[in-house]
Amino acid sequence: MKPQFEAIDALLAAARKEVELPPAEQRRALREALDLSRAQVARALGVSPSTVGGWEAGRDPAGDVRERYAYFLEGAQAKLADLDAARQAETAAHTDLPQVGPAMSGGGAATAAKPRGTADQPYPAPEADDVEDLGVPRPCVLCGQPARHQVAGFPQHLDPAQCATTAPAPAAPAKRLQGRTAETIKTVPAGRRVRTASDADPIAAAVAEALEAHEGDVDAATAALVKRAIPDAMALLDDCRKGGRYAIVAHPWIPDILRKPSARGADQIWEARPKWTRPELPSGTHEVTALDINGAYLSALKTHLPIGQLEHTAGNHHDRRRAGVHLITPPAWEHGAYLPNPIGNRDEPGPLWVTEPTLRLLLRLSGPRYGLCEPPQIHESFTSGATESLLEKFRIALKDARERALAEGDEVTLEYVKAMYSKFVSTMGESNYNRELYRPDWMHLIRSQAFANLWMKAHKAHDEGLTVVRAMGTDELHVIGTWRRVFAEGRGVFEAKVKDVYTVGTATADPAAAKKPRTEN
Amino acid sequence: MPERTAEFGKYGASGIKGHEAVARRLDALADFIATPVTTRRGLMARLHYLTRTPHARAAAYDAGLTVTDRTLQAWLAGTRSPTKQNLARIDDAYRAVRRRNVARYLLARLNRAGRGTRVEIHPLNQSGVRPSHQRVVELRTLNIRHWEALVAAWSTGDDRALDDAWIEQIVDLGSQWGQYEYVTNIGFAA
Repeated sequence: MKPQFEAIDALLAAARKEVELPPAEQRRALREALDLSRAQVARALGVSPSTVGGWEAGRDPAGDVRERYAYFLEGAQAKLADLDAARQAETAAHTDLPQVGPAMSGGGAATAAKPRGTADQPYPAPEADDVEDLGVPRPCVLCGQPARHQVAGFPQHLDPAQCATTAPAPAAPAKRLQGRTAETIKTVPAGRRVRTASDADPIAAAVAEALEAHEGDVDAATAALVKRAIPDAMALLDDCRKGGRYAIVAHPWIPDILRKPSARGADQIWEARPKWTRPELPSGTHEVTALDINGAYLSALKTHLPIGQLEHTAGNHHDRRRAGVHLITPPAWEHGAYLPNPIGNRDEPGPLWVTEPTLRLLLRLSGPRYGLCEPPQIHESFTSGATESLLEKFRIALKDARERALAEGDEVTLEYVKAMYSKFVSTMGESNYNRELYRPDWMHLIRSQAFANLWMKAHKAHDEGLTVVRAMGTDELHVIGTWRRVFAEGRGVFEAKVKDVYTVGTATADPAAAKKPRTEN
Repeated sequence: MPERTAEFGKYGASGIKGHEAVARRLDALADFIATPVTTRRGLMARLHYLTRTPHARAAAYDAGLTVTDRTLQAWLAGTRSPTKQNLARIDDAYRAVRRRNVARYLLARLNRAGRGTRVEIHPLNQSGVRPSHQRVVELRTLNIRHWEALVAAWSTGDDRALDDAWIEQIVDLGSQWGQYEYVTNIGFAA
């Protein structure tokens, strides 16, 4: 009982009042008054532009980001107030001063000698009605350097000495070149014209677009994004393969073992899905924590994937540079009492078709470092030259988007990314939902890799002294013990999430009874 | 380099004609009823497809299902069951009608408003060929923009026209196109 109350106390102590933010419509007005783009603000806050858009449309950030955003808005308000005051003072000065502007801008020596540091003080303008002061410097239309004035809407330097294009100083060419290269925008051809290239990643762009289309309705936007997840994932994959060494072979010849005999039937590949429960526990009461491994399929995209068409070979030989499916006789497993069998719980004896990750796991476990089983016997294989980096860029793009979404508490992006990778894996075989890619072999390999990763996690837990109780599905691991020293808690890819905490065992009132050896039953 | 292979398989290569692979792929995209016609479920599904409208009935008649309406009614009611030959005729008629119905939509998806579809051509299998006789034949891809002739030939079941239409397309592979007359697989999405 006690520890539970302590936990509640700690929770209450940690909770604090969230910072107040100005209403949504003001947020946008503040940013625009300072002439800042969403991207600039987003970069400063460390979030994506679409997120800033969402906040301005009425969503509220939480946690650290909220504080940073509140700080920005507060600062913006203060700055705007300052600028307003300065502008008023300046207009007052303009009306007081005689028209000295033309003389100063035309004359050379006096203004040229004027140091740049005085730029904070506004220069007198030549024609007061056309010229406006800019609160925030914008690039001069003539030289590209920041200018603090605009004439009839064009930002420019009023003083030729300031303007790099007209200044006949000896260092001018170099200066001009620097000015040009320092602020460039990337362009791409668009039809017969040129437009600025959008650097924004496609995931953020899609999320922003969906939010805009549904006017900030998070649920509707999420549903729309999940619906288009498969074509978007394929487009992202294509985008990520630009300049890649290997092309994605999407429709290779598939051996019969990988073909589904009917629409509902399964092919002959054994994916080694773990479904293991520890048969016996020591007597007493145990607190079991059900851990969830985050993004299991996302991490499993990094696996040795066969690039081209699978070729048949026979014989007990494994080539590390190839990957595919193998017919093996698995070794006997004698550690079922405390560790799951790496080939899952198979009821039938005899040879079975396993995938590359399962075979590699078995070979690793039979090696000198682990020595847990005999090496498996390979009978025949369908393999092709393999690489681990085929989906690597794709995986990293998704992982980065996921991490950003987690940092910002952006549930829309999180759901979208999850739908992208999970549907990508589940439909890359013979699915009618994704006809662009017919690679049942990859589908099996990626799934098996997720299961092998889970097995390695179970082994790590066992190695570190935890009691592994269950390993099941793709990402679920039940352990007894202080698991936090083994796995970091969180929602990142390398972290584990608590799904459930439950107690198991017979609660005995008499501690002596618990210590008694179990002779009766 | 001969353009057409005279004696395919003489040195142990295996594969199928390119146009056969294309027809297979188009058939896979047409999504026929998966249940075989020999089961009651499969038979009923096909008969319903062929008798849903007078138009469909006429198409089935054109496709070779030349039985009387009375017989069809009896089959549908289950009072009589078709003979083995008639089962084969029903299946053939079903495939022909389905191909003809799907062709229009398949064509639009393949042409993609002029952008065409990328086709993967997987070369023939040389695993049975003596190493000294093996040649380097790579995986090739080709963007086909005009599918009209291919889809028309496939939907009418005209093998020869399909072959011609396919060869017409693969000459774009360059002077090596003869190596791709026989293939293991041809893949494209629609």
